[in-house]
Order: sequence, then C-alpha cells, then structure tokens
Amino acid sequence: MKFIADLHVHSKYSRATAKNSDLENLYLWAQYKGIHVVGTGDCVHPQWFKELQEKLEPAEEGLFKLKEKYAKPINVQIPKSCRGDVRFMLSVEISNIYKRHDKVRKVHNLIFSPSFEAARKIQKKLGDIGNIASDGRPILGLDSYDLLRLTLEADAKNLFVPAHIWTPWFSAFGSMGGFDSMTDAFGDLTGHIFAVETGLSSDPPMNWRLKELDDFILISNSDAHSPAKLGREANIFDTDFSYDGIYQALSDKKDKGLVSTLEFFPEEGKYHFDGHRVCQVRWNPKETIQHKGVCSVCGKPVTVGVMSRVEILADRPEGEKSKRWRPFKNIVPLPELIAEAKDVGAAGKAVQEAYMNILAQLGNEFTILLECPVEDIRRVAGDVLAEGINRMRQGKVEIAAGYDGEFGTIKIFKPGERRRIDKQMALF
Amino acid sequence: MQRPTNLNESQWQAVRHTGSHVLITAGPGTGKTHTLTHRMAHIIPALKSGEKVLAITFTNKAAGQMKDRLTALGVNSAQLFVGTFHSFCLKLLRDYFEHTALPKDFKVAWPQDITGFDKETLERISRMKSSQLAIDPNEAYKEAYKAYQSYLRQKSWIDFDDILREALLLLEDENIAGQLRRQYRYIFIDEYQDSNIIQNALLKILARDGVLLTAIGDANQSIYGFRGSRVELFRRFQEDFSPAQVLTLQENYRSAPSLLAASGQVMGGLELLAKLDTEGKLVIHAAATDRAEAEYVAHQIEKLIGGFDMTSCRRARHSLGDIAVLYRLNAQSHVLSKALEYLGIPYQISQKVRKALVYADENVLGQNEEQVEYNVEKVSLMSLHAAKGLEFPIVFIGGCEDNLLPLDLTGMKGEEQEERRLFYVGMTRAKEQLYLTSARRRQLFGRTLIQNPSVYLADIAEELKAYESSKHNAPKKDPDAAQMKLF
Repeated sequence: MKFIADLHVHSKYSRATAKNSDLENLYLWAQYKGIHVVGTGDCVHPQWFKELQEKLEPAEEGLFKLKEKYAKPINVQIPKSCRGDVRFMLSVEISNIYKRHDKVRKVHNLIFSPSFEAARKIQKKLGDIGNIASDGRPILGLDSYDLLRLTLEADAKNLFVPAHIWTPWFSAFGSMGGFDSMTDAFGDLTGHIFAVETGLSSDPPMNWRLKELDDFILISNSDAHSPAKLGREANIFDTDFSYDGIYQALSDKKDKGLVSTLEFFPEEGKYHFDGHRVCQVRWNPKETIQHKGVCSVCGKPVTVGVMSRVEILADRPEGEKSKRWRPFKNIVPLPELIAEAKDVGAAGKAVQEAYMNILAQLGNEFTILLECPVEDIRRVAGDVLAEGINRMRQGKVEIAAGYDGEFGTIKIFKPGERRRIDKQMALF
Repeated sequence: MQRPTNLNESQWQAVRHTGSHVLITAGPGTGKTHTLTHRMAHIIPALKSGEKVLAITFTNKAAGQMKDRLTALGVNSAQLFVGTFHSFCLKLLRDYFEHTALPKDFKVAWPQDITGFDKETLERISRMKSSQLAIDPNEAYKEAYKAYQSYLRQKSWIDFDDILREALLLLEDENIAGQLRRQYRYIFIDEYQDSNIIQNALLKILARDGVLLTAIGDANQSIYGFRGSRVELFRRFQEDFSPAQVLTLQENYRSAPSLLAASGQVMGGLELLAKLDTEGKLVIHAAATDRAEAEYVAHQIEKLIGGFDMTSCRRARHSLGDIAVLYRLNAQSHVLSKALEYLGIPYQISQKVRKALVYADENVLGQNEEQVEYNVEKVSLMSLHAAKGLEFPIVFIGGCEDNLLPLDLTGMKGEEQEERRLFYVGMTRAKEQLYLTSARRRQLFGRTLIQNPSVYLADIAEELKAYESSKHNAPKKDPDAAQMKLF
C-alpha cells in the first residue's frame, strides 16, 4: 500500500523541543499533515520509553498505534477530511562526539527498532555506556562505528541511518565535524548501512553527485522539534505497511518500495550556503572560494555549508543521476505558503485560522500541496494561495539561501504581485 | 653510538648510563616513561641467557602501558618482568611458597572483604605495616594490629601490606635472594618518590652483588605520605645505593610555557624548560557557591567541545576525553557530576586510588576490571591523587580554597608540603588549558562553609592569570523553539 513516513522526530524529552511534543500531538499533527508512519524519536529515553509502552499498542508488524483511550479525545479535534491511520515506528537519534584521527567528530545517527525488546536492548547497552536520561537525543562519547556495531549486536533487524549527512556541525559528511567518506566513518561495517538521511539543506540531485552514495538509498525526514514541523520532508512508500516493508524497501537494492521523497527547497535549509550569521556574510560556494573561506568581516573561517561541501566531495558532474535515484518533489510547508500569500508572519493567528479552515475543506496538507486541483484551492482559499501553490509545484519560487544556522527565506510573490493576481482573477 | 633523534641529550645520557646505580629526577612531562623504556630496550639485548630485567611500576595500568611501549620497541618479553611491587612480591610468594610461613590455601584479602574493623583502625594498621620494618612496641594500635593479624590468619588471608612484608621475610633467605640477584640483573623502579620503607628494604636486598638499580621519579610529586611513602628515600638514594649517579631531566614536552611557569611558581621558583610553544591559558574563576562553580565548569566544558546543538556550535579541537575535572576530596564530585549530568555531558568518576593499585593476579583481576566493550570518551572526574601520571589538554581543578588546598578541615589535615605538591601534580596534568575554580560558599559533609581562595593561587604571577566572571554564556535559545509557537 502507498503511505507517507516521517521517521526523524523528537519528543519533549530532547533539548530545545516543544512541550507538546508528545504522542497525542504527534498523532494529531500527523493527520493534519497526511503522514501515516511517524518515528517516535528518543525511544531510549527512560521516561519516553515508558510513555511509549503505556500509550502504544502493536498494530502491523513492527508498527505501533496510539491506544484508543488516548486517541479518542484527539480524534474529535481532527476535521473529518484529514482523519487517517497513524502508526509509530520506534526510533532514536544519538549525538556521537568523539575524536578520530586526532580530529573532533560530531555525528548524529538514527536507529530504528522493530520491537520494544530490541529498543530495550539498545537502551540497556547505551545506559551502561553513558547518560541516556538527560536528553532524548543522548550525547555519547561513543564512536559512530561502535554505535553501529552496538546497534547490529542488539538486534539484526535494527536499522542504522546516518542523520542529515551534510549538516556542517553534526553529521557524517559535515564540514566541521564529519568525514570525507562513509567508509572513513563506518569502516568495515559500512555495508550494514542501507540508507542515509539527506537533511533539509540538501536535495537528492546534490547527493547524486557522490558516487559513494550510490550504495545507499536517500531518505528525507523532518527532524521536527515540535509536532507542527512534521512532514517538512518525508518519504513516500508503496510497500507492505509494516516495519519489514520499510526495512525491505531500504535494504534491498532491487526493491522499489520507496517511491519518492518530499523535499524542502534545499536553499531554505539552515546550512545551504556558507557564511557567518553574526557578520551577515552569506556566500555561495564560488564566493567562498574567492575569499579563501575567510570571512570578510571578522577574518575567521566561515561556516562551510552543504552546497560547498557537496562541491568539495563530488566526483560526478551536475545533472547525472545516482544508481538508486528516486523521483522527488520540493514542497513548502502550507503555513508558510499561507503567510506568503497573505504577506504576514507565519507564526500569526491569521495563518493558523486559515490553515485549519483549508484543511477542513480540502483534506490534509500533503493532499493540498501535491494533489488538489488548483481550482479547488482557489475556490476555498483564494487566488493568491492557489497561485502560490501552483508556483511551488512548478518550482517557481525565489529563495534567499539559508546559511550558518539561519533558515533561508522564500519569496513566491514580487511586491505588488498579490494585488495584481487578485485583480486579474476578479475579471473572470 | 649516535643519539637517536627521539631522545634529548639528558635522556640519552640516562639511557646509556652504565656502571652504577642511577637515580633519574624527572619532572612532569619530561619523558619519564619514554626514557625508562628506552633505557630498558638499550640494556636488554646485552643480557646473558636466563638473565632478566625487573621493572616495578606504581600501578598495574602503568605496567600494562610500559609493556606495550617495550613491545613497540621490539623488546623480548621473555626477558622481562613488569609489574607493581605487589604483583612481583605475590609472584615470589607463589614461586617460593614452601619457604614461607603462609598457609597452603592463602588468598589475597581485598579491602572490601575485611569486616569487623573500622576504617580508621584499618588505615592506621596499614600505615604502620607500610612504614615500620619491625612493629614498634610502643605503637598505640599494637593490640588492634595483633587482633587484625590473627583475624587474617584465621581466614588464611594475606592483605596488600603483608604481600610485601612476607616477601621481605622470604628474601632473608640468602639462597633465594642470591637466586633472584642472578636472575634479575637490572631493576627499574618508576615513581620512586612514592616508595615506602618496606619497598626500600626489598630493593636493598635485590640491588646488590652487581645488580644495578635505575630509579626514576620526582620528589616534587610525592603525594602518598599518608600511605607510608617516604619522600626522603628519594633524597637518600645515593646513601642507600652506592655508588650511584644522579641525573636530571628538565625539558618539559607536555605543557604550554605559561602553564609550566605557573606550576613552577607554586613550587617556589622551580624551573623546567618548556619545549612546546603551544599557547597556554590559565583561568581563575571564583563562584558564589559550589553549585555555581559546578555549573561554570559544566558550561565551560560544553563550550570547549564546541556545543551540543545547532545553536551553540562552534569550532572545537577538543572532545570529551581531553578534559579532566580534579578535586581534593571525593566529596566534591557529587555537585560537579550533577551539573554535568544536567547538560547531558558524558563523564566518568575514576575509581578510587586503592583500586588503581590492583596487582596482576588473574584470579582477582577479572571481577574488578570494568570490561571496555566499546570505544567511549568521557570527561574524567577524579581526585588529585588519582590524576597522578595522567595528562589532559584541559584540566579543571575545583575547590581551590584555603581549607581544601591545602586540606585543613576538622579531622582532616594534610601535611603542608605534601598538599602543595598535590596541587602541583594537579596543575602539571594540563597541557593547554588550566581552570582553577573556587566557591565562596560550599556545602561539605552536611555543613555550609564560607571559603576563601587557596593561598596557592597567590603564588602564581598575575600576568599568567585570566579572571573569568561568573556570568557564563548560557546556550542561546533554539530559533526553532521560538518558531514552535507558530500554532
């Protein structure tokens, strides 16, 4: 069956996350967004583990659902147009900080488990090594290689996925704390990794430029720190609706179960370009090379973003596809589109109200972004938003690229354009 | 013979020295183990068949490291015994069992196995046994000692101190001593400043009739007086072992010059020659309370390793294993570990010193050695005593206060010179950055104490110190967190 999965999420037990990052709100927002499988995140955290055990029950093989008594009060809040099944998959992200070859490495890795027993084993092993109770995404002085070994030893069906592999500070390929190849990081165990997460600041074509990544399938997730951020990126599967189905789709190179991915416009990511946020220096890779990587304001090396990093490691020209390539679509979260159409801040109440109203009439966010006829959107939400979604689908957006931790900013409409669109349409 | 490039002139002199006993004075970071192992590797190939080298280390861990280094230098391990005094003596007791008065089934008593005696009594007895060749008839704890010894005998146990004492008795047999002397032609002893009178007596028997002794150490790092170590043995070396040459290693390859200058000032103008040109940093931080001190330490550590999330990240050269937090009393570790835990910083509290002495005895080793299954780095928390022999790029010394350094609390008073040496040992662990922190108000043993800075801080020249205020940079709020209010 066809389903959408967002597998990298955090609970309220992780640092800098929303207080409402709990199962009920993930269940709620997954339906608003149109997501069918959500990673639990943080599953080795003792309290979150307990909550998961208490509130979830087994559904399809390796997937879990919110128990009826917890789901019921939520269901009434969800417009009928959005209601759908939501399943949870046990997952956790680990922050590995360690020295290798005399360089400090900071690599984030995702682990998925098929069962509570398997997750419990990882929890036990990690608990013996370090502190897993302070942070839902535990910081461990453990080598990524050893984490992978530990994961496989705990259960052969665990899945290990290097997270947002291009993020400068915290990833396997990161310019600041990463490696130049997956084999450098994972050595003889590299073959046990089937998938890598591309992160918000890179899209599949950027990843295709590394031949080494031909061995991995690319997945995309939101890394949401609050339920409302679910589905910023996601994966569309067409396979058995189970852990095994997902495992198979990622691990078997012939399997076509992962159909496509939904992607942020990579420029919108926090680390697409290079620069210094504080110095307000934003450079594309060429500019960085021109300046020899040194900030023209403060004289210190700039934070090298994803685009540059890909350029450095690439061994294949632009435009060629990798062996395990999948189609993808770029999306902009609907609240941002609404804000852009209304020319207001995305955090405002007007956006929130419009969002709920549109969802109630047209269905979940992914349906609206990907499938809804523009005419239907126009009828419900007006000309400007309809045009905005249309342009997004065609990739006609302007983005001031993100850099050094600052999200990129999207512009769909030029000044005055909104009024013109409204007017033009009024003529018909 | 040419001097190898990896030895400096004085190290090379120490390596090649022949014809007499030798005492090598080696300050912190002067390449003590390096020199010692090269000297061994230099000597061993000239041994006749059946002859051996005996190398005594202070801890079992140090023995392991020395073996590794010797293997790397291509030394044949069959011509070597490397171990602590305890492991060597235990081996003698087993090898020459029939010449001892020990029960057939004797076992080594671990401190935790011993019941029915309070801690203080046991400490007094232990000090007596490690500092008096013959127990003084006027000894106040003589009765307790007798009771304790018969308790051990009844259990067929032998304690750590008796391992050495029984071996000494054994070596009174001139036949056995002679056999050993013919076998062990060279004896090396590390950390000589911390040896005690029993160990000294053992060496005097073994290092005779052509057997040559090489002792290495640093009188400024003698910190085990409370356990019977006698720093004057170091100064008396040439009388005890004659003829003997005294050599000095002065070139320091560990610490940044400014840190070396600071530790030298604490020791009263002692000058080691700085060979590194790394930039050092010595930070003095005075906090209002012990909790604030611990939070400062934790936040500094987060900063030093470059932050844990996207908002606090910065370039870092150091990771968790590069950092140590040291303190005078184990009681200080609680508040420090709480603060680290709060920030999710991985740390380990190193085991007590007593355990670090564990001798190589396979039967008992397994149960006490932690199995290291995966490569894990952590910030090290440990007492100043436990830090001996270690080095870290970044060192924090907590509780630099007038009654902790030097220790002067009710019922706990350290010997003044030894306390100063202990602080010196702590300072000289640091390669690049040293943080000396203190608290104005401290909770200790259920009491609130008002503290003043340690007098040692005043010995460090002002221009070497950087004062940091208590305002630590709390991690900025995640921009995500602000946007989370979106709906």
